[in-house]
Amino acid sequence: MEYLSTIGILIAIYVILAASYNLVIGYGGLATVAHPIFFAIGAYVSGLLAIHTSLPPPVTVLVGAACAMLASLLLAASALRVSGDYLLIASLGFQLGLLQLIKNLEFTGGPGGLGGIPATIVGPARTPAYLVIAALLAIATVFAIRALVRGPYGRAITAMRDEELAFTALGRNAMSMKLVIFAIGCGIAGVAGGLYAFYFQYVSPDQFEVLQSAAILTMVVLGGMGTAFGPVVGAVLLLAIPQAITFLQLPPSIMAPMQGIIFTVLVLVFLFLRPAGIMGHAGRRRRTAGLT
Amino acid sequence: MPLTGAQAGYGNDFVTGMRMAVKDVNDAGGIAGRPVELVTLDTQAEPQLGINAVNRLIGVEKMPMVLVAWSSVVKAVAPICNREKVLEINTGANSPEIATLGDYVYTAFPLAEVDITKLAQYVYQTLGKRRAAVLYINNDTGIDAAKLYRDTFTKAGGQVVAFEAYDPKATEFTGMLLKTRAANPDVVHLHGLTADTPQVIAQMRQLGLTQQITTYSAGYNPKLIEQCGPAAEGLIVTSLAPGVQENANVAPFLERWKKEVGRVPNGLPYVQYQYDMIPLAKALYDHVDKKGQPATGDTLRDALVEIRTFDLPMTGKMVIDGHRVNKPVYLLTVKKGAFVPLATLS
Amino acid sequence: MLDPIILAQILWTGIATSAPYVLLTAGFALTLKVTSLWNFAQAGLMAIAFYAMFFCLNVLAWPVFAAIGAAVVLTGAAALAVEVWGLQVLRQRRSGNLTFFIFTLILSEFVIYVITLLFGTEPQTLFKSILSPVAIIGNIAVSDWDKLAVATAAAGLAALWLFMTRTREGQFLVAVADNAKLAELYGISAQRAYRVVAVIAALFIVGAMYLVGSHGGIVPNTPMELVLTAVIATLLGGIGRVFAAAAAAVVLALIQSFSILLIASRWQNLLLYGFLFAAILLFPRGVRVPRLRLAGARR
Repeated sequence: MEYLSTIGILIAIYVILAASYNLVIGYGGLATVAHPIFFAIGAYVSGLLAIHTSLPPPVTVLVGAACAMLASLLLAASALRVSGDYLLIASLGFQLGLLQLIKNLEFTGGPGGLGGIPATIVGPARTPAYLVIAALLAIATVFAIRALVRGPYGRAITAMRDEELAFTALGRNAMSMKLVIFAIGCGIAGVAGGLYAFYFQYVSPDQFEVLQSAAILTMVVLGGMGTAFGPVVGAVLLLAIPQAITFLQLPPSIMAPMQGIIFTVLVLVFLFLRPAGIMGHAGRRRRTAGLT
Repeated sequence: MPLTGAQAGYGNDFVTGMRMAVKDVNDAGGIAGRPVELVTLDTQAEPQLGINAVNRLIGVEKMPMVLVAWSSVVKAVAPICNREKVLEINTGANSPEIATLGDYVYTAFPLAEVDITKLAQYVYQTLGKRRAAVLYINNDTGIDAAKLYRDTFTKAGGQVVAFEAYDPKATEFTGMLLKTRAANPDVVHLHGLTADTPQVIAQMRQLGLTQQITTYSAGYNPKLIEQCGPAAEGLIVTSLAPGVQENANVAPFLERWKKEVGRVPNGLPYVQYQYDMIPLAKALYDHVDKKGQPATGDTLRDALVEIRTFDLPMTGKMVIDGHRVNKPVYLLTVKKGAFVPLATLS
Repeated sequence: MLDPIILAQILWTGIATSAPYVLLTAGFALTLKVTSLWNFAQAGLMAIAFYAMFFCLNVLAWPVFAAIGAAVVLTGAAALAVEVWGLQVLRQRRSGNLTFFIFTLILSEFVIYVITLLFGTEPQTLFKSILSPVAIIGNIAVSDWDKLAVATAAAGLAALWLFMTRTREGQFLVAVADNAKLAELYGISAQRAYRVVAVIAALFIVGAMYLVGSHGGIVPNTPMELVLTAVIATLLGGIGRVFAAAAAAVVLALIQSFSILLIASRWQNLLLYGFLFAAILLFPRGVRVPRLRLAGARR
């Protein structure tokens, strides 16, 4: 059924977003908040290419992801020169600044959003096809990231994040590793953007504001930062529960803020009582990634 | 409908208007003898939520027709309605783009070109203004309308001496207003939203700009007079729905509203349209029923096109002209702290 | 457009409009200086301050000073609660930066959602009218609000400066800001300093929200945008330099206002972010203005 399939596709897209964000913030230890903007770059670039050129969709999605990667390198290289703290604020400014730019340009559709992205798959098989594509991409993302962090590279990442000084003293380049992780994470977010653009055929700049950053952050924190399947749990919870609540027929004026309250309270409770999240290991002393 | 979020004030009233109509229709026997049920979902005026809501209405509730408002939501759900062959009727957004969104997207609410062009022409021809300044909010609503105003005014022979957009989050307009003042206009058209319009007007007067100000239906809001006080005197606003004096049904409707809700509606003209959507829907369903057809997106759409002219209780005659609708524009002005009718343009 | 009167008007109104931002930036920058924390929870405090005043003025029909007083008490209490039961706990756990960030951001979101539940999302102003009496002084329109705004910001900054340089408590703050562990060795309580800063920030927030709320409409989400401006000004002023940050807030506002002479108004906001990038790339330690070295001058 279209309704459930759309929710499914959204969940898959957010799994990709949450997993890639987890890579950056949970495993890489890079405090950033701008993940939605790379999602946006992927969506806008592939959408625009689809409208104005006849490149096949997979190509446009890859170009979108590449643009996202490039943008992330630009941001990280400038900000990390200063300090890790700076990346946080810099990423916030980057996100909002780029959104301002998008809203002021004509060819991106301005504040009204980019519509008319051509349909690539037509007919009754459309939704199931997209569901399969999205699910495959989500699964691939989760397992690829899992493989990455379990292997030797993963151990290097952990070492860098936990003991940067020793890491550098041993001759490893922390900076280039951070850039690589950031680029991979943001590139994957760009892929999610392309997928979104093609399925929904409409992209609006309002979807990529700080609220979105907080939503993805919530998914990762609740699910369990620095765990492989935590983002999946987080994405499912954060998308399925609000939809389920709407079926309860509560008065709408309390429903939306109520959802917000439920999720923010959950994050705060987890933060203090179970920083490891749902999928994480309980107890505060941990050798692996995560919140302290 | 946005039942929560920044636009909830309007959204909730829209739904209330519809519910009143549903009650009236049901009291009069319903549609083809069956009671009407209104299924509402909250979109917070956000595209993604709108998409989810429409998907649910189509997939779960099996609706052949959806009533949507707010330009970004109307645009976002258009691809779905076109794909699923569901009739999408816009009931409150005015972006001109809506007329070209697809075969299944129609509007029952006049799009921007209706009131803005008539207003611009009125300002030139009747008020005799020759130098206009256009100040608009930098979003969908503002950009489209500002361009329309500028094009119409210049085509009529006037000159647009200032054309400034302001950021939706701005609270201070001194620079823009001084630039406007320096351009020496004799009329200023302001196209913003309910939050910023009073601020711009107040700051204009405080900076010594005494020109005539015109705005559109977002300014037709009693709260604006409260916030601006004497600065609002002489303001001209447009309304796309007949007022108490033009349509006999409006006064009792307003009274009923005041009794049931305890205040005046947010945006009375808009709410009048929302009310009328139910009799409109009833007409479509009755038509389809009489022909013995099932109610699907296709049959309802065909009914809309075939019937073409509707006589609706709160807004009067409505003629569906392709994917547009043409209606008279009612002008009101603020005199002694209250809105009074000024003219009707058809 | 380069008429001196127009320039003077833009200058005056720009300074007046920047006043609430100056207060918010001062509170934010002071907190950063003393606690080394980018305290995004202040957005939640801003919301509490405004809606407390709104409620007292419009629902309880209290006089203005009572409403402000109530807001001071509520916001101060909330600030202390966040400090004592939130931030101090995280400090004891030696939580990472990320945890602090998530805590303060999500806490603000929580407060904003609760306020949305209680007050709805329609724009609200503290008083029914946003018009303020205007006097023409030397061809420039000066409104009562303008005067109040400038006076409040100036008084607030002056009081803060006196506090930090002339009182013991204030100097303890500076000591803790410099090196908390060292200060503790000298018997200065870092925890006490953090609490004092929380209260000072709350005071500035109430002042700022009164000004903003009497000038235009506020929705529950407005504080999130306000805190962003404070962040950018703090960055430009340089971490640890409160008064430089306050100055940066004024300069930013003026640049945005004057930019109208050169660019279309819709690009004004983008300028803000342009400055943020410039700050990050070129002035990570803040914009330094060479200072006169006076004999015996203190840093």
